[in-house]
Amino acid sequence: MPKRILLYAALVAGAFISVFPYLLVVLTALKTQAQLSSTPPWLPGLPPTTDNLAKMLGGDFPRYVLNTAVMTALLTAGQLVFTTFAAYAFARLRFKGRDVLFWLYVATMMVPSAVTMIPLFLIMRELDLVNTWYGLLAPYILGTPYGIFLMRQFFKSLPAGLEEAARIDGAGPMTILLRVLLPLCRPALGTLAIITVISSWNSFLWPLIITSGDDTRVITVAIATLKDGIGVDYHLMMAGSLIALAPMVAVFIFFQKHIVRSVVLTGLK
Amino acid sequence: MVIVLVLSLFDWELLSAPEFVGLDNYHRLAADGETWHSLGVTAGYVLLCIPLQTVLALALAMLLNQRMKGVRLYRSLFVIPWMATPIVLALIWNWIFDPRDGALNSALALVGITGPDWLSDPDWALPAVALVSVWQHTGYNMLFFLAGLQGIPQELRDAAATDGATAAQRFWRVTLPLLNPTMFFVTVTNLIGAFQVFDTVYAMTDGGPSGSTEVLNFRIFQTAFKEFDFGYAATLSALLFAVILLVTLAQVRFFGKRTTYDLS
Repeated sequence: MPKRILLYAALVAGAFISVFPYLLVVLTALKTQAQLSSTPPWLPGLPPTTDNLAKMLGGDFPRYVLNTAVMTALLTAGQLVFTTFAAYAFARLRFKGRDVLFWLYVATMMVPSAVTMIPLFLIMRELDLVNTWYGLLAPYILGTPYGIFLMRQFFKSLPAGLEEAARIDGAGPMTILLRVLLPLCRPALGTLAIITVISSWNSFLWPLIITSGDDTRVITVAIATLKDGIGVDYHLMMAGSLIALAPMVAVFIFFQKHIVRSVVLTGLK
Repeated sequence: MVIVLVLSLFDWELLSAPEFVGLDNYHRLAADGETWHSLGVTAGYVLLCIPLQTVLALALAMLLNQRMKGVRLYRSLFVIPWMATPIVLALIWNWIFDPRDGALNSALALVGITGPDWLSDPDWALPAVALVSVWQHTGYNMLFFLAGLQGIPQELRDAAATDGATAAQRFWRVTLPLLNPTMFFVTVTNLIGAFQVFDTVYAMTDGGPSGSTEVLNFRIFQTAFKEFDFGYAATLSALLFAVILLVTLAQVRFFGKRTTYDLS
């Protein structure tokens, strides 16, 4: 079966291209300063050292990881709750101006982020929330247009008959949402959760602008500051990246089956 | 509600620029060759990334929608590029694109090709940045297509096959139309993202060499934070916003016409 072999060859090559840059992260994280300059990036430093990882884990880095984890958990919880209600309203409830409002909301995705940052920052400063957890979380905890777009597409794919049956039985919109639709949404919510977890975990620009102290510093900002010092500590930076990346890969592999089954955006009714 | 409030304040900010400075910024925009150059660069970037990453993602999804050994492992491996921090990725890719001893040109040398200078060559810098985007987003988009494919009942394809449809006909007449809602979501969100590319440009090329990667969003950032000309930056943002809005509306019409899928 040469076709099968060709297929596998393509997959292996593709997978290698996907993973190769990460291989460089791992290799660099396991090098000493001297090996960094004496070996090309894609060859391992021999013998490998775990000093960089130990150094990162021994300092303030675990605290930044914890900060990031707390931020991620809160943003994800907020996104799931608020996005569900908003998307349900946009997909199923009938009210005046619904579609205009929805497309206005989607339009906010089109506003360049470099520009929204300035007014957002000014608002946070007026509210005295700079360098606080509230300031860090406020802009994103109530859900994102992207999430609402995704969930709305999902709600639209659920058969309308379900709702009508529940309504005839006397259920209000709230009961319908919580008792009838939400259980069916579990897979879509899983997808939304993982997307939010990964984007929150990697968020950089807003945390960089709004926080400056150790209490609220997140890993992306911590990694970036390693680049600001005298010379770039590539090996430490890569060790930090490796520590930051590991939980995400673990989360993804763990939920992989669930995710793929869940992103249902078909228009079949 | 706070989000809506915040954004409504922002929209006012956006609109307040033309209100207070009059149309001066817009006159300036019309005569600003550098901005039109940026818009061209942005369009080039979008045209380089979007078709490639969409087609690749769909092809991968179709491959990985089959029953085969290790399929879950492959799916995970392809999605991994989406998971890391952009700054770190930019750094790594700068090593890979290094013209002398970078991994890419070393690999090309093995097959006897002298690679270009990539990031320091004005002709190759933009394709190089676009390549990173394709690398990063293909697997992520593949997930959506995979899910879309799994939502298509196999009976439909089987029925088409019994009616004598070839594989190509089955793809164009059955699979692709039924993937329309997925295609709509993927292309709309990707285009919006690609028009606003910033992180990779900022970290990899800083707009250079000689402005060849100066996309509009990067120019907005420069105008606002390097030249502190926020009013004009807002004008440029309005331009970028208008372009994205037009493209999205065109997509809504395009997909709305071709499908029974309910856009309202």
